[in-house]
Amino acid sequence: MTVLAPIGVIATVTLRALLGRRRTLLMLLVAGAPVLLGLIIRADRSGADALVPSLEGLTVTSVLPLVSLIFGTAALGSELDDGTAVHILTKPIPRWSIIVPKLLVAAGLTAVLLVPSTLLTGILIGGTGSHELGITFAFCIAVLIGSFVYVAIFVALSAATSRGLVIGLAYSLLWEGLLAGALPGTQYFSVREYLRGIVSAIGPHDTLASIVGAQGFLLAMVAFLIVTILASTRLARFEIRGAE
Amino acid sequence: MTDLAAPPPPPPPSPRSVEPRIDPGLDPALEPVPLPPIATAAPAISAPIVLDRVSRWYGNVVAVNDISFSLGAGITGLLGPNGAGKTTILHLLAGLLRPSAGRVLIGGRPAWGNPAIYRDLGLVPEREAVHAFLTGRQFVELAARLQGLPDAEAATARAIAIVDLESAADRAVGTYSKGMRQRAKIAAALVHDPPILLLDEPFNGMDPRQRLHMMDLLRSMAAAGRTILFSSHILEEVERLADGILVIYAGRLAAAGDFREIRRLMTDRPHTFVVRSSDDRRLAAAFMVEPAVFGSELRDDRLTIRVTEFSGFTRIVARVARDAGVSLFEVAPTDDSLESVFEYLVSRR
Repeated sequence: MTVLAPIGVIATVTLRALLGRRRTLLMLLVAGAPVLLGLIIRADRSGADALVPSLEGLTVTSVLPLVSLIFGTAALGSELDDGTAVHILTKPIPRWSIIVPKLLVAAGLTAVLLVPSTLLTGILIGGTGSHELGITFAFCIAVLIGSFVYVAIFVALSAATSRGLVIGLAYSLLWEGLLAGALPGTQYFSVREYLRGIVSAIGPHDTLASIVGAQGFLLAMVAFLIVTILASTRLARFEIRGAE
Repeated sequence: MTDLAAPPPPPPPSPRSVEPRIDPGLDPALEPVPLPPIATAAPAISAPIVLDRVSRWYGNVVAVNDISFSLGAGITGLLGPNGAGKTTILHLLAGLLRPSAGRVLIGGRPAWGNPAIYRDLGLVPEREAVHAFLTGRQFVELAARLQGLPDAEAATARAIAIVDLESAADRAVGTYSKGMRQRAKIAAALVHDPPILLLDEPFNGMDPRQRLHMMDLLRSMAAAGRTILFSSHILEEVERLADGILVIYAGRLAAAGDFREIRRLMTDRPHTFVVRSSDDRRLAAAFMVEPAVFGSELRDDRLTIRVTEFSGFTRIVARVARDAGVSLFEVAPTDDSLESVFEYLVSRR
C-alpha cells in the first residue's frame, strides 16, 4: 500500500466529522454575514467606496480567522481532546500523514465557504466594473490563501496544546487585531498582514499594506510550510490528554 | 473465532524462566506454583512488553512510581482501584505518554514516539469516543485500512465476527449500547491480528453473556501465543481470566505474580474486627489468650480486635464467646475494602 492510502481514509473521516450539522449551519451563517452586509450596502446605494473596508474589515479580519479557527481546531484538537483521535494515532503511519489530510480538508472547507462569500459580497457592493471586479478578485485570492495559512496555524496549535481554541482566538484578536502591524517588524508574524500584502500586490487598489509585492505570497507560503511541519512534529510527540 | 487460532506472528520468547516475585523474603513458605508469564526482576529486554524502572509524573503528582515488569505470552491482569495508575501504564505501553524516567519497550523497541510498534500492538482504550456517524463496520475498516492490510474488507468482516457484532455492524456507532461500542473497539484493535493486545477496563458495560464471550475470546487469543494485558478494578474479573496479575496501588507495583499467591496474601493479612456483645470487657480478656489475636481495644463502648489472620479468627470467635459466657451481637470486619487490601500489599514491600 502506498503512503497515500491513509491520507485518503483520514481525509474522508475528517470531512464527515466536520460536516456535522450544527457546526456547518453556524459556519454558513458566519460566511453569509458579509453577503448580508453587501445587500444592505447595495440597498443603501452607498456604492463602491465601501468595497475595500467591507472586504477587509469584515471578511479578512473577522470571518476568515473565525471560520478557520472553528474548522482548524475541530479537525484535530477536539478529536485529541475527546479521545476519538486515539484510534487514528495508534496506527503505524507517519504523523504527517495524519496532519496533512486534516489540514487540507479543514482549509478546503473554509475556502469553499468563504471564497464564494467574498465574491458575492464584492459584486454586491462594488458591482461588475473592471476596477471593482479586480479588487474583489484580489480579495478572493487572499481569502483562499488565508484559509490554508490560518487553518494550518490552528491545527498546529491543536496538536501542541489542549487550549488551541483559546490561544487561536487570542492570536487573531489580540496579536493580529491590536499589536501586529503597529510596530515595525511585527507584520512578519501576522497572517492578516500577509493577506493585505497579497491584496495590494494583485488588486489595483493600493491599501496601506505593510507588506508589499511578492512578499505576501512568499511569507504566506513559508508560514504554511513551517507551521505544517511543526504540527507534524508536535503530533509525533503528542501525549494523551485528560488522563488519570 | 477459529481464525484466531491460526498462529500469530511469533512473539519473542516469554520470560518464563523467571520466578514470580511476591516479596520472596517475607514468605518463604510459598509453594512453587505454575509460573505466570510475569517477571518483575531484571526485565528481559526481548519480551513483548517491558517496563524498566518506569516513572511518570505530572508536575508534582507521581502517577506511576518506579515500576518494572516484563510480560510474555498469556493473559495478565492489571488490578488496582480507580486512579491507581492503571490507565497511565497502558498509555505508556501504547506510546501515548512519554515515561518521565525509565524505559518502556514493545518487542524490544521504545514505545514512545515510534508508530511502528502499532503493527504489533492493539489498544482498546477505556474512553468510548468513536465518531458517532460511522457504522461499526466503517469504524473497524478504518482501522484495517490505516493498518495497511492487503484485504481490509475481509479482515474487517473477520474481526466483526470475532466480537459477535455482525447483526449491528451496519448501524451507526452512535446508536450502540455501551457493550456494543466496547466490542466495536475491540474488533478495531485486533483487526490486524496483533501479537500484543492492551485493554483498558474491557468488561465495563458488558452484560454477563458478553463478558463470558469476551473472556473466551481473550483466552483463545492467549493460547495462540499472544501477550494480553488488561486492566480492571474488579478482583473477580482478574481472578477468572488472568494467568498472572500485577497489583497497582497509588502508582506503585504492590504485587506481581500468580493469582493464587496474591489471593492468599490478600486473605491472610492482619484484620481488624469490631465486636458487640453482652460483655465486651470479659470478651476482650478471653480473646487476648488466643494466639490468633494480637490486640484488643475497648473504647467508647466498642471492642476492636486485631487478628493475625482472617480465617483463623473466624474459626475461634464463636467458641471463645461461648466459653466466656458472653453473647455475641455483632462481628464485623472493618477493613475489607479492596483499597485496604491494596494498601496492605504496598506496605509489605
